[in-house]
Amino acid sequence: MSKFLKMYTPFTRAGIQMSMAYRFNFFCFLLGEIFKCFIMFFVWQAVFASSDSETFMGFSMVDMTVYLFITFLAGYLTYSEGTYAVGEEIRDGSIAMRMIKPVSFDMTFLFQELGNKIMVTLVVLVPICVGVELYKYFVTGSFMFNLLTFTMFLFSVVIAYLISFYFNVCYGFMAFFLKNLWGANILKEVIVDFLSGATIPLAFMPQLMRDILTFMPFSSLSYTPVMIYMGMYSIEKSLGLIALQLFWLAAFWLLSKAIWRAAVKRLAVQGG
Amino acid sequence: MLKTLRRMLKMHRIFIAQDLKKMMEYKIDFLTGAISFLLGQVFNIAFLWIIFSQIPALQGWSYDEIIFIYGFSLLPKAIDHLFCDNLWMIGYSIVAKGEFDKYLTRPVNPLFTVIVEKFQVDALGELIVGVALIASVIGKVSIHWSVLNVILFLLVIPFATLIYTGVKIITSAIAFWTKRSGQITHVVYAVNDFAKYPTTIYNEFIKTVITYIIPFSFTAFYPASYFLTGENPLFNIGLTVVMSMAIMAVSVLVWNKGVAAYESAGS
Repeated sequence: MSKFLKMYTPFTRAGIQMSMAYRFNFFCFLLGEIFKCFIMFFVWQAVFASSDSETFMGFSMVDMTVYLFITFLAGYLTYSEGTYAVGEEIRDGSIAMRMIKPVSFDMTFLFQELGNKIMVTLVVLVPICVGVELYKYFVTGSFMFNLLTFTMFLFSVVIAYLISFYFNVCYGFMAFFLKNLWGANILKEVIVDFLSGATIPLAFMPQLMRDILTFMPFSSLSYTPVMIYMGMYSIEKSLGLIALQLFWLAAFWLLSKAIWRAAVKRLAVQGG
Repeated sequence: MLKTLRRMLKMHRIFIAQDLKKMMEYKIDFLTGAISFLLGQVFNIAFLWIIFSQIPALQGWSYDEIIFIYGFSLLPKAIDHLFCDNLWMIGYSIVAKGEFDKYLTRPVNPLFTVIVEKFQVDALGELIVGVALIASVIGKVSIHWSVLNVILFLLVIPFATLIYTGVKIITSAIAFWTKRSGQITHVVYAVNDFAKYPTTIYNEFIKTVITYIIPFSFTAFYPASYFLTGENPLFNIGLTVVMSMAIMAVSVLVWNKGVAAYESAGS
């Protein structure tokens, strides 16, 4: 185990260093994303002000605000550049190098990204969670932080990231078939964004959509951890959904291994 | 004067033709990109639709009026995207890689050549969606299409477009001093997202910023609200023109200062 860590923690360190080196870009991008968050906040504030009722499809204004900012946080934590990284290496052929190296292909990417995620945890997660809890306290007058739901949230969001990682790696393997991944990448982002509840809580969607979505992995990417954070699920339901997340993680992990093995075999035959 | 203008237009046509040729090579990629864009628009509208399924009006604006404002917001954005997309490259790579020098050696104004080099055809998609959205609600919103209003509508769009262009020129020109300003351009440009919705929903700080500092409100909400309500033409239309001219003047000034600084830095 410690040998494993020794092999891969240098990648994490590299990831942290890269994040530090690009911190101006990081903060500029963060600012742009925060704008979107606040735009949605004001839109929903106007919606609630224009409505007779205190709730919108079961959500109060406080719920909606928490939903927006925690979804924003979850988006940052689960974002993975696997598609881009894998796609690039396939395009310029450097993927062949990965095949002959004795280190695991996905582990090197994963540990490098973890470096970035550490940055995100410090710079985004802590302020957002503190901010959200303070907001809830000031608006409702009571301190509503629940350690159990927060722990389940953390666990759920870590699994969500891993699902996102392996999903993106599998998607990146499409570069074996497509010349340019740019368009396909945007398509993935647009669809995943919507279906994981980033714009509209999945609970607001028509029943048919919700039924279809229960069979798809997208809600496991963002919606599940966010709703767990908000305490919208009972403990049994939360654990059940986390188990579902683990299922999807296993599915994409196995898929990525299978594609990788097939690719290695095929390229070994071609390249000799 | 007329000869230069004719020459510029001819060159522009040649550049556009070259860009179209390059684009055809990436057909599948282009198609998926186009579908993604359309899908994104569909999702935006689905969001609005879900909101209006529960409330009759958003701060007094009906669903059709909000769609009109949203569609209107896409027009200047698309036109600027169509013609001036290359400005992004100034801040992202052209200056940093030392490639700006070639623009200085040409006998034509460098700002013009930079802009003309890229004709971003996919922006037509944005334009079509904007027009389609407006067309879809044109019968349902109470706009008085007098001759004056039609003229004002056609007039205000180019001025609103120039607000986008001006902002991009200013933030791109920063690269002449700092080598890279792509991220700054990205963040400032992102402020335009606020303009999709009625400016009145925001707090005082944001309202001031998007009205007087990074005046994106004049690219969508203010002019659109004039057509929808007929109120305050001097502010809604007049100030759009004024803001647009002001931003363009500032942008050309900053750009020229930037080029001078770049040249004197020894290239």
